[in-house]
Amino acid sequence: MVKVAIYPPNSLVLADLIERKGLTPLSLQKQMRKKIKDLEIDSPPMNITEDDPIAGLKYAAIEVPSGVRGRMFIIGPLIDEAEAAIIVDGAPFGFGCVGCARTNELSIFYLRSKDIPVLEITYPTNRAETFNMVNEINEFLDSLKEDKEEE
Amino acid sequence: MSQNLCMSPELGKEDMDPNVVNRMIFVGPNAKVSEGEIVHEMHMLGLPLTIKHTCYGAMVSGQKEDVLKAITEIRKLDSYHIFTKDRGFAPGDPRRCRGHRFGPREGFHQMEKEFQILGDVADALEKPEKVIIHPKTPVDVDDFVETVNDYINKE
Repeated sequence: MVKVAIYPPNSLVLADLIERKGLTPLSLQKQMRKKIKDLEIDSPPMNITEDDPIAGLKYAAIEVPSGVRGRMFIIGPLIDEAEAAIIVDGAPFGFGCVGCARTNELSIFYLRSKDIPVLEITYPTNRAETFNMVNEINEFLDSLKEDKEEE
Repeated sequence: MSQNLCMSPELGKEDMDPNVVNRMIFVGPNAKVSEGEIVHEMHMLGLPLTIKHTCYGAMVSGQKEDVLKAITEIRKLDSYHIFTKDRGFAPGDPRRCRGHRFGPREGFHQMEKEFQILGDVADALEKPEKVIIHPKTPVDVDDFVETVNDYINKE
């Protein structure tokens, strides 16, 4: 099954549309679940440990704020796993923001620079745009499935 | 607001099981089924699941195979209007549950926002159309130079 990275990484609409096509969405919640089950963490709402920013160094330089590196520790493995990506641009604050603009920029940069098929769309503001967004995503996912079958 | 900064909850065996998944089930605005019907249907399946009835639909937790089976079954009720996504925390987990906090939990505002377009998303799924995707490409350097030169010459 093709693993598709999504941005915003915790989007309901994107994750659901990908699953409907039988593909695997790489959602943030699965990564968070791993952290929650970690016995070493006492209080998961503040679940960053001193090791996380160090592991985040793989994705962001030492000059980058520790918050970005800590977030990249969670999001980075998803980007590594990705075989395709769907990025929604201009999503409003409430639409799956990971709470850090720089992390968003860095993650989108990694997804774009990775040699994988990427679909970039804009967050819909009306009914016609929503229809277009859904149709484009479905078309993109179908093309991924066809490519996989050809392989 | 110290309650929001939270405690170490007493986690059960299920909370630590790597094969246990949590799913949120959303009922879209124009759905032909209600939240209650979905919860009832899941209970009737007789699977070992923890099911919570919520304002947007339901939350279900259990072994991965059982949860996926339950989702497949309830999607049959109204496939276009039932949406699902993963959730990190278990249903009723005091670190996230609204019942133990002041105000809405994290993630509620996103759900609220996405719920506004769920009706249109469901309609789009019901009536799919063929579209051509135009991939974004960078501007060709020669074209860019030409445009700049044209502009300079006009001045």
